[in-house]
Amino acid sequence: MPEENPPLRPLIPGITAQFPQDVTVLPRRKDMLAVLKVTPARVAEVAKYLRDVGSFEHCALVSGVDWVDHLEVLYHLWSDSLKGYIELTVDLPSEDPHVPSVTEIWRGANWHERETWDMLGVRFDGHPDLRRVLMPEGYQFHPLRKSFELHEPEELEVKARHV
Amino acid sequence: MSDSETSGTSKIITHVREADAPEPEVPFAEIEIVQSKEFIPVVKENLTGMIQRGMEAAVKPVFNWAGRNSLFPLHWGLACCAIEFAAGFGARWDGERFGVVPRSSPRQCDLLIVNGTVTWKLSHKLITLWEQMPEPKWAIAMGNCATGGGPFRTAYSVVPGVDKLVPIDVYIAGCPPRPEAMLDGILRLERLIRERRG
Ligand code: SF4
Repeated sequence: MPEENPPLRPLIPGITAQFPQDVTVLPRRKDMLAVLKVTPARVAEVAKYLRDVGSFEHCALVSGVDWVDHLEVLYHLWSDSLKGYIELTVDLPSEDPHVPSVTEIWRGANWHERETWDMLGVRFDGHPDLRRVLMPEGYQFHPLRKSFELHEPEELEVKARHV
Repeated sequence: MSDSETSGTSKIITHVREADAPEPEVPFAEIEIVQSKEFIPVVKENLTGMIQRGMEAAVKPVFNWAGRNSLFPLHWGLACCAIEFAAGFGARWDGERFGVVPRSSPRQCDLLIVNGTVTWKLSHKLITLWEQMPEPKWAIAMGNCATGGGPFRTAYSVVPGVDKLVPIDVYIAGCPPRPEAMLDGILRLERLIRERRG
């Protein structure tokens, strides 16, 4: 068990007791109060618990990483009273990744989830308006996937022809 | 009517005749003698009458002269090149001395200056603006981004050259081009329009 931050001492056992099957405590990273790995199905419930019980009222970032063999979705949550971030990570399969949306919990996650869908192709179930943000509607690729190769412009142009 | 006004008017008309209108029988003399405050109505009447008499070929150079000396670019900015575009119409470079006045509506424009990076997401809007402009119209690609994608040429989101979207008449190199270069591009376009005579 890694060394815990004192303010989180009651919270971490609480959350692992609440979700024993679904939450794993990972080693702390720099600038993070704690790093929790969550199974995809229970993300929304863990997030709600962290907001209501753990006072993480601000969702600062939803993003993703393509680790080639799997995808990872990250949530950085900020607590004003603890003055620190907690990180949630979710491992997803590369093929057809789905994860519950946290937009109903933090409205600010809306565009973050849209961007993650746009760039990495992660579907956020229950999102009110999951459209692309940076690329035009009808674009067929998710350019931050490692499998998306940086092509010559002419080829890219053919790829991007969406009208 | 003062003497200076008369001579000013005839000077402009003489310039048109020398530069553009080889037909000697064009009745420009009628125009030359009008009083300057009636200049526009009489010109309009003359030109309309000439078109009605089937002398469109003789009228065309006048429109060409008027059009190329009053190019109205669309007042929009896309990226860093737009700062140079704005500077080009400020006090120091004063693009308006060439009759080039940026307008805010594409309906009032006959020149599209693409001054910056165009992403695929923006490409629809660019084409819409271009189609909203009335004919005759021209387009200038200003800067490396508009010409060929610039530093973002291989990015997944950037159009590698706006000539994929709209027909470009003049390309201006530079990242960004200086305002002088932009004005030079506009003057080159004026020369191009004069040569086309259309
Ligand atoms: S050409 Fe250079 S200065 Fe102009 S928009 Fe592109 S990056 Fe900016």
